[in-house]
Amino acid sequence: MSVWLVRRVAQALVTFLLAATLAFFLMRLTPGDPLARLTEDRPVSPETLRALRARYGVDRPLVAQFSAFLGGVIRGDLGQSISHNGREVTELIRSRLPATLLLGGTALLLNFLFGIAIGVFQATRAGTGPDRALTLISLAAYATPSFWLALILQWGLGTELHWLPVAFMQEPWLAGRPWSLAGALDVFRHLVLPALSLALVTFGATARYQRAAMLDALALDCIRTARTKGLPERAVRWRHAWRNALGPMLTLFGLWLPLLVAGSLYVEAVFAWPGLGTLAAEAIAYRDYPVIMGTTILVSGVVVLGNLAADLAHRWLDPRLRTP
Amino acid sequence: MTSLWGATWHDRGGRLGLLLLGVLTGMALFAPGFLPDPRAMPDISHGVLLPPGPAHLLGTDEHSRDVLARLVFGGRVSLAVALGAVTLSVTLGALIGVVAGYAGGVIDAGLMRCVDAALAIPRLFLLLIIVAIIERIPLGVLILTIGATGWFGTSRLVRSEVLRLRGMDFVRAAEALGASRRRVIARHLLPGVAGPLAAATTLAVGDVILLEAGLSFLGLGVQPPTPSWGGMIFEAKPYVVTAPWMSLAPGVAIALTVVAVSLVGDALSRSAGATRS
Amino acid sequence: MTGRPAFPAAFLSALLAVQPAASQAPPQATLVIAVAGDPDSPVPTLWRNSQGNRELSDLLFLRLADLGPTLSTIDEASFVPRLARRWTRSDPVTLTFELDPRARWQDGVPVTARDAVFALDRARDPALSPQTGTLLRRIRSVSAEGDRRVVVRFTEPYPEQLYDATYHAPPLPAHLLEGIPPESLAASAFVGRPVGNGPYALARRSPGPVIELTANPGFFLGRPGIDRILLLGAKDPEARANLLLSGEVDAIDNIYSLPNWSRLERLPSYLYYPVPGPTLIYATFNQRDPADTARPHPIFTDPGVRRALVLALDREELVRGVYGPLARVPDGPLSSLLARSVDAPPVIRPDSVGARRLLAARGWSDHDGDGVLDKDGRPLAFRLLVPGIVAARVALASRMQEAWRRLGVRVDLDVVEGAVFIERRNAGRFDMDMYGVSQDPSPSGLRQSWSCSGFGGSNVMHYCDATVDSLLQLAAGSDRARAPQLYRAAMRRIAEDVPAVFLAALVFGTPVHRRFTNVVVRPESNWSLVWQWALRPGQAIDRDRQ
Repeated sequence: MSVWLVRRVAQALVTFLLAATLAFFLMRLTPGDPLARLTEDRPVSPETLRALRARYGVDRPLVAQFSAFLGGVIRGDLGQSISHNGREVTELIRSRLPATLLLGGTALLLNFLFGIAIGVFQATRAGTGPDRALTLISLAAYATPSFWLALILQWGLGTELHWLPVAFMQEPWLAGRPWSLAGALDVFRHLVLPALSLALVTFGATARYQRAAMLDALALDCIRTARTKGLPERAVRWRHAWRNALGPMLTLFGLWLPLLVAGSLYVEAVFAWPGLGTLAAEAIAYRDYPVIMGTTILVSGVVVLGNLAADLAHRWLDPRLRTP
Repeated sequence: MTSLWGATWHDRGGRLGLLLLGVLTGMALFAPGFLPDPRAMPDISHGVLLPPGPAHLLGTDEHSRDVLARLVFGGRVSLAVALGAVTLSVTLGALIGVVAGYAGGVIDAGLMRCVDAALAIPRLFLLLIIVAIIERIPLGVLILTIGATGWFGTSRLVRSEVLRLRGMDFVRAAEALGASRRRVIARHLLPGVAGPLAAATTLAVGDVILLEAGLSFLGLGVQPPTPSWGGMIFEAKPYVVTAPWMSLAPGVAIALTVVAVSLVGDALSRSAGATRS
Repeated sequence: MTGRPAFPAAFLSALLAVQPAASQAPPQATLVIAVAGDPDSPVPTLWRNSQGNRELSDLLFLRLADLGPTLSTIDEASFVPRLARRWTRSDPVTLTFELDPRARWQDGVPVTARDAVFALDRARDPALSPQTGTLLRRIRSVSAEGDRRVVVRFTEPYPEQLYDATYHAPPLPAHLLEGIPPESLAASAFVGRPVGNGPYALARRSPGPVIELTANPGFFLGRPGIDRILLLGAKDPEARANLLLSGEVDAIDNIYSLPNWSRLERLPSYLYYPVPGPTLIYATFNQRDPADTARPHPIFTDPGVRRALVLALDREELVRGVYGPLARVPDGPLSSLLARSVDAPPVIRPDSVGARRLLAARGWSDHDGDGVLDKDGRPLAFRLLVPGIVAARVALASRMQEAWRRLGVRVDLDVVEGAVFIERRNAGRFDMDMYGVSQDPSPSGLRQSWSCSGFGGSNVMHYCDATVDSLLQLAAGSDRARAPQLYRAAMRRIAEDVPAVFLAALVFGTPVHRRFTNVVVRPESNWSLVWQWALRPGQAIDRDRQ
C-alpha cells in the first residue's frame, strides 16, 4: 500500500507539472497579445509597446519565461497581473477564492445530495412512473443552460417576488462583516439563488450515474443473498448495494471537484458573484498570462488532487485492488 | 448487434426514443422546404419580437426572423454536432477506459495521468489554437474537434466501472476458463459498462449542443446567419424575460433530443444487461 | 423616454452652479450605484486607466480645471475652475495656473504646485504612463513657482493646451508619493487606500467588489449633498438591470441594450438621464488587400462602391432595432460626446435604387445570374470581421449582411473572440471590421485614425486622403478660433469619401432614483459631479439612514 501510495503521489506531481507545462505553452500559442489588447483604446507608439512588453517580460524567449514562472510557483509567487496595473496574482486570487469556494462548495454539496438521493430512489423503483418522471426532470434540468436558469430564477424570485436578493454576496452595508449572525444570514440569502442555479443544472449527471451504478449493484448476487437472508430493505439498499455502487460516484466526484474553484462564469456574471470564474474569463479575454496561469494551475491542482483522492478511495473500498 | 437494436425497438421506451429522434432528424432534413428562409429579415421595423401566432407559429426574433424556421434549420447543425461528436467522444472514452481498467499497471497509470493532465487544461486553449490554425472551420472539423476533446471524463468513469467488474466472479471465471482478452472485453466488460456509458452519452448530447453555441461566439462553429439551437439560446440571452419564446423553443428542442437519446440509451443498456445474464 | 429631463438646460444650470443646492444642513443620504467595471486602481497616471478606474478617481482627485458644459476641449472660456482658481497666458506657449489656497489633501496637507508638477511629470513619462505619455508629448516642461503657481510650457502654440494640461493628469499628493519608486506606485499601498483632495474619500473596499466612499466634510468647494456613495461592481448588463428592477440600487452605469431599456423605462421611481457617450461603432473598409497589405484592396479602393454600400443601408432602422433610443447615426467618425464640440456633417440618406444605379455605373451587375453582382468575373463578395463577445455588434453585422444580400452583395461574417479580433484587425487581415472605439473628448485623436500619419498605429485600414490629412494637421496646430472650422471641414471631407460605414454613436441612458435632485450625469465620467447632487427633502428611505 505505502509503495503504491508513494508512487501514485509522485505520479500526481508529474501530472501536475505536465498539465502546467502544457497549459503554459498552449496558452502562448493562442492568437492575441495582452498589450495590443490593453492599448486598444489609446494606442501607443511601437517603441512604447516594446518597452511595455519588456516590463512584463513577455518579450523574452518562451523557455526563459517558463522557467521564471516555475521558479515563482515554487516560491509561491505567481507574478504580477498585466491588466490589473501590476497587482500580485496571488493577491487577486486570494481576494476571489473565498466567494468561489463558498458557492462551488454549496453547489457541489447540493448536487451530490440531490443526485444521490434521486438516483438511489430511481434505481429502487426502476421502470415505474416516478422513475421515468424523475429521469425527464433531471435530464431537462441538465440540458438547461445555466445562464437561462439563473436569469429566470433571478427574475422570478428576485425582481418579481422580491423574496431573495438578485446579486452580490452581501448587502453592501454588511460587506466585509460575514462573521456576525446577521452577516452570515445575509450571505446565506445571497447564496441561495446562485447555488441553486448551479446545483440544478448539474445534479442530473450525478443522478444518472448513481441510478446506473445502483441498478448494476442491485443486480449483484451478494445483494440477492442479503435479501434472502431477510435483512431489512433499507440496510440492503444503503449498506450493501450503495457501497457497491460507490466506485463510479467517487470518480464522478473527482471529476466535479474543479467546480469548487473554477466556478461558473455565467452564474457568477448573472449574480455579480465576486468569484474566480469572472477573473479567469477576463484574464483569458485580455490574455493576461500571469492571471491565466495562476487560475489554471489552481484548477489543475484540484483536478489532480481530486483524481488522486478518487483512486485512493477506490483502493480503500475495494480490497481486491490492493493485490493485483 | 442487430439483436441489440431489435431489442431496443421492442422496448417501449426505446421505441419512443428512436421515433422521437427520427422525427427530429426528419424535420431537420425535410421540413425546411416548407418554411421561410431562416436568414430573411422581412420587416425589421415592425416584425421583431412578435409572440407566437398564426403567421409565425413560434414567434419572431429580434431581427424579425421566423423562430420556427430557424429552429428547424438549426436542427441540422445541432443534431449533426450532437450525434457526431458524442459518438466519437463516447467511443474513445469507452475504449480507453476499458483498456486502462483491464490492462492495469503501467498502461493504466500512463493513460490516466495523460487524462488527468488533459482534464486540468482549459478546453478553451485547445479550441482557440485551432481557430488560430484554421481561420474558417468546416462543420466536419468542428465535430472532430469537439469529439476529440470531450472523452477524458468518460474514460475515467468507464475505467472505474471496469475496475469493479474485473474483480467480479463471472469475469474471473471467464478468465480461468481461458477466454481471450478480446473476448472478455467484448462479452463481459463492455456490456457491464453499458449503464454508465448510456448515462455519459445522454449527458454529453446536451453538453455539446450548448458548447457548439459558445464556440460560434469565439469564431469556431457555424457563423451567422446559419442558425443552430445553442446559438439561438445564446442570442436570446437579453430577451429571456421579455421574449421568452426565443429561448424556450430551442431549449425544448435540446431537452427533447437529450430525453430521446436517454430513452434509447436506457433501452440499449437494458438489452445489453439481458444478453449478459 | 418618460420623464426625460430638459437635458441641456439641467446640465448647464447644474454645471454653472458651483455651490451645491443643499448647502445648509443637508439630510443624510446614501447613493448606491451598480457600475460596470471593477475600479481596482483608482489613481490617475497609472498606465492602465480603465473607465471604471477613471470614474472612481474622478470622485477622489480633482483636476486643475474641468471641461465645461459644452465639453469643448478648445474653447478655454468654457472650462470650469477646480483646484486652479484662474489661469493666465504670458505667451502662446506658456500657461500659468494659480491654485486655490483652500484646497487640501484629505490628510490635511495643503495642495501645492509641487503636486501638480509631480502628476504631470508622471503622466508625460512614456515609461510610466505610456498612453498619456503619447498624448502629452507637446508639453515641454512643467514647473512650480512657489507653492501656488504651476507653469506649463508647450513646444508649440496649439488649440488644446489647456485641455492637455488639465484633463489627463489631476494633481497627486507628492508628499506621500515621492518616497515610492515611480514604477512601483501601482503595487503600493497608496493604490489600495488613496488619499485624494476631491469631494469623497475611499472609506472601505471589500471583495464584492463593494467600494464605500464618504463625503469629505472639509471639501473646499462646498460640502457634498450626499454623505455616502456605495459603488458595486456588476459587469453583466442583465445583472445591473435586475438590480435596478429589484430596487437594490439607485443608479446604474449605462443600460446598453434595447431589451433592458424596454424593461427599465417604465420604472416609476427612476428618471433617465441621456448622456452623450464616447463610444462610436463603425465598420471600416480596408484599403489594402488582406492577403497582402502592400497591395490595394480589390473592391474598396473605389469610393463609388463604398458610397453605394452605405446608400443600401437604412442605418436609422438598423440601429434603432439594436440600440433603440440609446444611439443615433453619425455621419463621420464622431461619437455623441465629440459631436458636441465638432459639427457633424450631413447624414447620407438611404437610397437602395441609387445604390444599385451607382454600382451598375461602376461596372458591378449580375452578369452570370447567380444573384451576386460581379465585375470582370469577380463577385462583389467580402468578409466582415466581428468580435463575438459584443452581442450588439453581432446583431448590427447580421442586419447589414441581410441588407447587402438583398442588393446582391455576398458578405460572410467572421465572428471571432475579442483578442483574435484585435490581432487580425491590427495586422490588416480583414475586408471590413465592426469596430467600437471609446473616444477622448478631444478631436485631436481623429488624426491617428483617419490620416496617413496613423499608418502602423490606429489607421489599420490604411485610409489616406490628402485633403483630410492637411485639414487635420492644420486643425491640430492652428489657433483656437480656427480649429473648429478646420475640424468641421475635415469631417465633411471624410463623410464624402466614405472610408467606413458609420453606424452608431451611443447615447447612454443612465437611470437615477427620483429622490435625488440637482442630478447631473457627465458624459466622460458619469458620476464625477455627484457631490453637487442632493436628496429631496423628506424623501429619505431606509438605506439613507442605515
